[in-house]
Amino acid sequence: MSFEIALRHRIGETAIALDAHFTEPLTALVGPSGIGKTTVLNMIAGLVQPDCGRIAVNGNVLFDSAAGMDLPPEVRRAGYVFQDNRLFPHMRVRANLAYGERLSRPEHRWIGQAEAVAFLGIGHLLDRWPATLSGGEARRVAIGRALLAAPRFLLMDEPLTSLDAARREEILRVVERIRDELAIPILYISHSPAEVARLTSCVLRLP
Amino acid sequence: MTLPTSAEWDIVALSLKVSVAAMLACLPVAYALAWLLARRRFPGRMLLDAAVHLPLVLPPAVTGWVLLLLFGRTGPVGAWLERVLGITLMFRWTGAALAAAVMALPLAVRAMRLSIEAVDRRLVDAARSLGAGRIRAFATITLPLSLPGILAGAVLGFARSIGEFGATITFVSNIPGQTRTLPLAIYTGLQIPGTEMQVARLAAVSVVLSLVALLLSEWLVRRAGGGRAHVL
Amino acid sequence: MIRQRQTAAVSLLASFLAVLAAACSPARDDAAPPVVLAAASLQESLEAAADGWARQGHPRPVLSFAASSALARQAESGAPADLFFSADEKWMDELDGKGLLRPGTRITLLGNAIVLVAPQDSKAAVALDDPASLPAALGDGRLAMADPAAVPAGKYGKAALETLGIWPAVEHRVASGENVRAALALVERGEAPLGIVYATDAAASAKVRVVATFPAASHPPILYPLAVLKTSASPDAQGFRDFLASDAGRAIFLRYGFTAPQTR
Repeated sequence: MSFEIALRHRIGETAIALDAHFTEPLTALVGPSGIGKTTVLNMIAGLVQPDCGRIAVNGNVLFDSAAGMDLPPEVRRAGYVFQDNRLFPHMRVRANLAYGERLSRPEHRWIGQAEAVAFLGIGHLLDRWPATLSGGEARRVAIGRALLAAPRFLLMDEPLTSLDAARREEILRVVERIRDELAIPILYISHSPAEVARLTSCVLRLP
Repeated sequence: MTLPTSAEWDIVALSLKVSVAAMLACLPVAYALAWLLARRRFPGRMLLDAAVHLPLVLPPAVTGWVLLLLFGRTGPVGAWLERVLGITLMFRWTGAALAAAVMALPLAVRAMRLSIEAVDRRLVDAARSLGAGRIRAFATITLPLSLPGILAGAVLGFARSIGEFGATITFVSNIPGQTRTLPLAIYTGLQIPGTEMQVARLAAVSVVLSLVALLLSEWLVRRAGGGRAHVL
Repeated sequence: MIRQRQTAAVSLLASFLAVLAAACSPARDDAAPPVVLAAASLQESLEAAADGWARQGHPRPVLSFAASSALARQAESGAPADLFFSADEKWMDELDGKGLLRPGTRITLLGNAIVLVAPQDSKAAVALDDPASLPAALGDGRLAMADPAAVPAGKYGKAALETLGIWPAVEHRVASGENVRAALALVERGEAPLGIVYATDAAASAKVRVVATFPAASHPPILYPLAVLKTSASPDAQGFRDFLASDAGRAIFLRYGFTAPQTR
């Protein structure tokens, strides 16, 4: 499992420059607020096009400005857990979870819905509407939805934001389990040194 | 005031036929324009926006005159329609429907555009990251979430069509059974002394139809926006 | 801050309303031009007459053209106009009956004829004494007319067609326009193969040709009465009316194809 990232990008006043190659199961991306950490994740997911650079995950090239290659987001197979969850409000939890799963190729799927639901402890939420979920519940559903989309890697944007202490511990344990039990590289944004220290020794600092 | 006669119900039926046809024709065009204006940046976007709003601010007779120039039997589009598709608009209810559709378009576009803009693009991004291409993301996220706005726009456009007069009479004249919709029939009645009762009955039906449509549109918008959005 | 904005808004609104009021109130000074409500078919000729009047040093009259029926309704509702120049006696009688005319000013000024027209390049030929000829020439097209139920040009046309026995065949083939000019426009554009308009309208248009003239005996005489309205406020109104009725005034109309009024 490896991430190879070389990026140059400018948004307004902010300039992002990143050169990294890491092979840890979980790598933390840290830096002060507003430095562009979320933008880096967006670029890896294909939602933003970098000015120039190259992105490869596990040897699969997702973006290469020199070669004129830019895969659209839907084929990159990134499991993106957004800071604001972004659950689809017009679908129940069950349909949210199935959204990415239905679009993935059966041979790419490596976790079933029953397994993911049990892993995250969200079985009792399946018929609920996203608007009725608590912060922690919504976060877990968002993680489940990303896992079920047969991703090759996970992108997690400050998954512990706006959760109380008990929920934070809960989600942290889930992330640790993913790191340890599922063989899938994770790029994890956080601004808490304690959180980072607990999860990994591989830290990517911006700028 | 007595109940409308059967001839008067025929006028109401014609009005409904014309307005429903107008809305069916107007809907896809309005949604496409609303989506373009809401989601895309391109040179001339402001010009398109202004052009869409023209029927709202031009004198209706001018709009009718332009329709006559373009869609009359001797007009470029009208001649083509007749030659290739066998569709005649002049002096027929189809022409009245076109006039109504053009006049309703700006209102429908405005309502739909508001509801498309209200759909959070970040949800579309999330769908893309989960494996949905552009079209699937549109169909499964943007379209369902903007649906109440589409319905509101359609109903509002319908209400406008029911009351359409100036463009219709300038374009396709006042032909009983074909283009004499409620507003034209009321206008005709006003010209002839002794028809006050008929005019009153037709006017009452117009008011009821328009009120129902407007209230329905407002209700749909409130349902969609949770009380936030209003298009009236 | 909010108080300041409120005051500004109120004073802006007040000055706007003041300007609007000033614009609306009739100017009661000697230079007020008369407002003339005139039938649509008088458009070119009356403009020329107004120019003639203005050349004599008077303020140029303000002319408002529409179907006589619509104008009569406006006058009945108290529209502030000075003269009414109608395309038939009936609408003038209506105002007279309601006491809206200044006594002694009514005069039947002009006559006209109605004609059957076709687009300039049409080869249509119609013999009006053969009731089948017009419907045949119409084919599957429509006969453009001003509203036969209310507008004078339409009513004369319908009367003529009824007298000639043609009406039943074409009654459901009529494209009824708001006024005679709308009917003329449809024929000019080739949207209608035939239309019924005044002889003066046909003369004014280079895009139509006269196919046949309706015999004067087939319809009530086409008369154009003129009168000063009782509510007239312009001091020039009587003067303009007299000018129109004078030989010089009538000559202008005769140049455009009008005739002296015919009496039966």
